[in-house]
Amino acid sequence: MPKILLVEDNEMNRDMLSRRLQRKGYTVVTAEDGEKGLSLARSEAPDLILMDISLPVMGGWEVTRLLKADESTRHIRIIALTAHAWVTDREKAIEAGCDDYDTKPVEFGRLSEKIESLLTVKK
Amino acid sequence: MILQNLSIKRKLTLITMLTSSIALVLSSVSFLIYDLVSFRHLLSQDLMTQAQIIGYNSAGAMEFKDEPAATATLSAFTAKEDIVTAALYKPDGKIFARYSRGKAAVPAFLPSHLQVKGYRFEGGFLEVFQEVTLNGEHVGTLFLQSDMRQWNSRAKRYANILLIFVLVSGLFALFVSSKLQGLISKPILHLEDTMRMVSSNKNYAVRAVKKYSDEIGRLIDGFNTMLSEIQQRDTALQSTNGELKTRTQELEEEVFQRKQAQEELSKAKHAAEEANRAKSTFLANMSHELRTPLNAIIGYSEMLEEETRDAGKIENVQDLKKIQAAGKHLLALINDVLDLSKIEAGKMGLHLETFDVPQVIEEMVTTLQPAAAKNSNSVNVRVAENVGTMKADITKVRQILFNLLSNACKFTDHGTISVDVDQIKAEDKECIQFRVSDTGIGISAQQRQNLFQEFAQADSSIARKYGGTGLGLAITHRFVQLMRGQINVESEPGKGAVFTVQLPTHIAMETTESASSQGTSDAPAKFSETKPNLDTILVIDDDPSVRDLMSRFLTKLDLRVVVAANGEEGFRLAKEIRPLLITLDVVMPECDGWTVLNRLKSDKELAKIPVIMVTIVDNEARGMDLGASNYLIKPVQRDRLAVLVEKHRIARSSGITDADASPFTYVGEGPAGRKTAESKVSRSRRN
Repeated sequence: MPKILLVEDNEMNRDMLSRRLQRKGYTVVTAEDGEKGLSLARSEAPDLILMDISLPVMGGWEVTRLLKADESTRHIRIIALTAHAWVTDREKAIEAGCDDYDTKPVEFGRLSEKIESLLTVKK
Repeated sequence: MILQNLSIKRKLTLITMLTSSIALVLSSVSFLIYDLVSFRHLLSQDLMTQAQIIGYNSAGAMEFKDEPAATATLSAFTAKEDIVTAALYKPDGKIFARYSRGKAAVPAFLPSHLQVKGYRFEGGFLEVFQEVTLNGEHVGTLFLQSDMRQWNSRAKRYANILLIFVLVSGLFALFVSSKLQGLISKPILHLEDTMRMVSSNKNYAVRAVKKYSDEIGRLIDGFNTMLSEIQQRDTALQSTNGELKTRTQELEEEVFQRKQAQEELSKAKHAAEEANRAKSTFLANMSHELRTPLNAIIGYSEMLEEETRDAGKIENVQDLKKIQAAGKHLLALINDVLDLSKIEAGKMGLHLETFDVPQVIEEMVTTLQPAAAKNSNSVNVRVAENVGTMKADITKVRQILFNLLSNACKFTDHGTISVDVDQIKAEDKECIQFRVSDTGIGISAQQRQNLFQEFAQADSSIARKYGGTGLGLAITHRFVQLMRGQINVESEPGKGAVFTVQLPTHIAMETTESASSQGTSDAPAKFSETKPNLDTILVIDDDPSVRDLMSRFLTKLDLRVVVAANGEEGFRLAKEIRPLLITLDVVMPECDGWTVLNRLKSDKELAKIPVIMVTIVDNEARGMDLGASNYLIKPVQRDRLAVLVEKHRIARSSGITDADASPFTYVGEGPAGRKTAESKVSRSRRN
């Protein structure tokens, strides 16, 4: 099954999202800050990353840029999650190198659709 | 003239003296002349009588040529002191006998043949001629010469007496006139004294004393009348002056009080603004903080629902759905409150882009399809053919349509909802008109009054029956206003409602924003909207090209950019807008960057705003000493600036003060410094 790296600093959100993704059958790895997220992305080689944008230590945009700049991690799909309710700035996320973007609070149905479609494209 | 400048006293004395002396001298002299003339006449008559007598007595001696007898007769003149010479002349003119006093010479011949009888004054002498006859026959001539000694002495005496008389009477006149001139001069001098007193002491209460009812008396009367008039005016003036002073004092007091009131007002205003800002920040933070646990509630309830459904416990699924619905309602409420607080704080900006209107309508209708189906409503959509693109804030247009459509769906049961979109011209402006009509419960006239007010659903029972936050129409109304549009409602209870929204096809950007931000207003990336307070960067640089480049670049990072061309303007703008951070050039005319930095850092309110120095001057130490957060050398590395801005933005939104944030301002110094810095940031919570 595809492996998903969830980078999220809020413990509850991390727990909830990872459990729901696991229920969907994904393998889930979690990181609570940008730096750990970066190192896990390199060591675990996930198929997709769910990236919170406002992260401690290293921000989501920066981690994304670093991953997309690295030849070995460039292929990993990244979905950015922003805390801002209804700002439609898909393009900003894509400019930073994200493959897609979604807003928090996460609507799980919508998010899993996005995950599936990205993973399908990859295949 | 000396005479004219004499005092009145002297003038009066002088006039009296001159007049009396002239009169005296004239009368005395005329009297003297008369007396002397008549006395001389008397003398000559007397001498002629003597000559007749002597002539008669010496006629016999002349006839008989008796010279001794004749000489004896003539010598009788020795008794007469004034007779100087006497002589008898024969008819042929030769001298016959003589007499002379002292050595006086006697002419040998008759001095004048013309003179036979009579007298004459010659050389100070009186000369008398007397014919000597005997029995009617001419026998000779008698000649007498008198030196008029009596007359001379008399004239001398008279002159002396006259002189003494003139002197004595002059002295007397002086005495009298000096006594009497007081009659005229004293009142005048008194008047003068009074006048001097008035003019030097400004004392208008004194009066000149009137003694006589002459012209001077009248003058004094007039003077006194004038004085009393002046005194009256002076008193009136002084009282007016006093009034004026009192009034001025009152006015000053009033001005002072008003100033105080104004200060208090401005303090109150400042406090109110501060409170409002605090409220908005609080609301924004609260909404943000509330969302995090809510997120978890919704998420976990969804998860539980799935698990429960899988386990086949259908009765619990309904309860979990209720938790979800309540959570979602709460979330909508929080979002609406956040929107409203931003609108009220004036932080709701417009992010304009050009988009296709029919496409948006289609999206919205698709989104609302489930809501319409819930109450078995059908939806009719009509978009006029001439409707194409519009330039507006697409998010807000969507939300306006969403609110109107979801309301229509909510309040209509088994009815029809129509959406009509037209391109129209309203007040000479090209507008797109959205009309959402339904066949639902409608709105009464009374309910329409506060339809667009916050938390004012048409009826409190409606909230119970239909749900909703009561903020939807208020937000819709504000959004329409923000885009310079109009919203209207027509409705009758039971017959449905028609909401009409007109929005300008091309909304012009507010001119208060920098020109460059307008230039990139089509850029879709706009995170700033959800970051109240933290979306503005102030760029202070005197070089227009640098300002332009910086603002273009920063706008791309979702920041609102305000530019200032000099230090003074920069300081003023910093105070006015309190930006997230300031980029500051050093080399500027008049007020250079160091000065601006110093002023910013010594201002209590502005000191917390981070300042990034952007300059060609390589003096990082000075910048840091003065309190700059970072130091970038021109030409600016964009990536580095972007990283710095992002750091400051995160630091500020997490509520870290400048003191806390200062370590990570040294990001450029190496990985070690960065690590400590960023670990500080990590203390802040976020979802």
